Amino acid sequence: MPSENVLEVFRSGLLTPLPRAPSFLLGVTGHRGEVLPVVDLLRFLAKGEARIMPRTRIFVGVSGTYVAGVVADTVLGLRRILVSDILPPPVGADAATEHMLGVVAGPTAEETINLLNFSKLLQTARQRAVTR
Amino acid sequence: MMEEASRGVDEIDILFFEIGGQVYGADASQVLRIDRSLPEDLALPELGPLRSGGRALVFETSQGESHLKVDVVQGVRPIPVTELRRLPRAASAAPFTIGACLDQARLVLLIDLVETARTQGRH
Repeated sequence: MPSENVLEVFRSGLLTPLPRAPSFLLGVTGHRGEVLPVVDLLRFLAKGEARIMPRTRIFVGVSGTYVAGVVADTVLGLRRILVSDILPPPVGADAATEHMLGVVAGPTAEETINLLNFSKLLQTARQRAVTR
Repeated sequence: MMEEASRGVDEIDILFFEIGGQVYGADASQVLRIDRSLPEDLALPELGPLRSGGRALVFETSQGESHLKVDVVQGVRPIPVTELRRLPRAASAAPFTIGACLDQARLVLLIDLVETARTQGRH
């Protein structure tokens, strides 16, 4: 995910579930005196569900005026990627590809890194939540 | 006297209660009394599965008294209004969740009791 969309990363604490919220919205948490909605990307992209473990982290993602926490199993770090290295996402692979900026080669030949379009993802999440 | 006046402006009495192990809060001024619950009392599974449901918060609606089953009533505490928060726009939850309060390390959802009766079609 582009680092411009990430404000900070913190250790997952207590989540307060929200009644009648969509399943991908795990709940809200208090962070720096504000209420932060927390999104499970796996559920949002229909790829399973996140499990909150001791190493689980939440990164604070921002797009315009919208701010949300996103559950991550592990935060690996920051890496500079050349725009020219970004390949288009595979066409018609699954619903997740519409929320991807593209893919880049990973640390090994077999691995690829999916780059998320966080702005679009947050916009869709909000639409899904509101139109329920 | 001055102290009481300033407390009234800066703090609000919140009644804390539990449903299914989760703590919730409500404006204590909405609550008329706490009773033993009856089978026909209002239950709100969206707040969690009741464990005992042995108590009921009694509150006034435009149609009369309504009773909401809860597991535990923790008590009433004054909470500074500076600790009250609206829910973020992205978190569109049930209409009876009117906000949250930052209570030490945890975030407690605030429930509008009158709205719970309305959403259950009781009033």
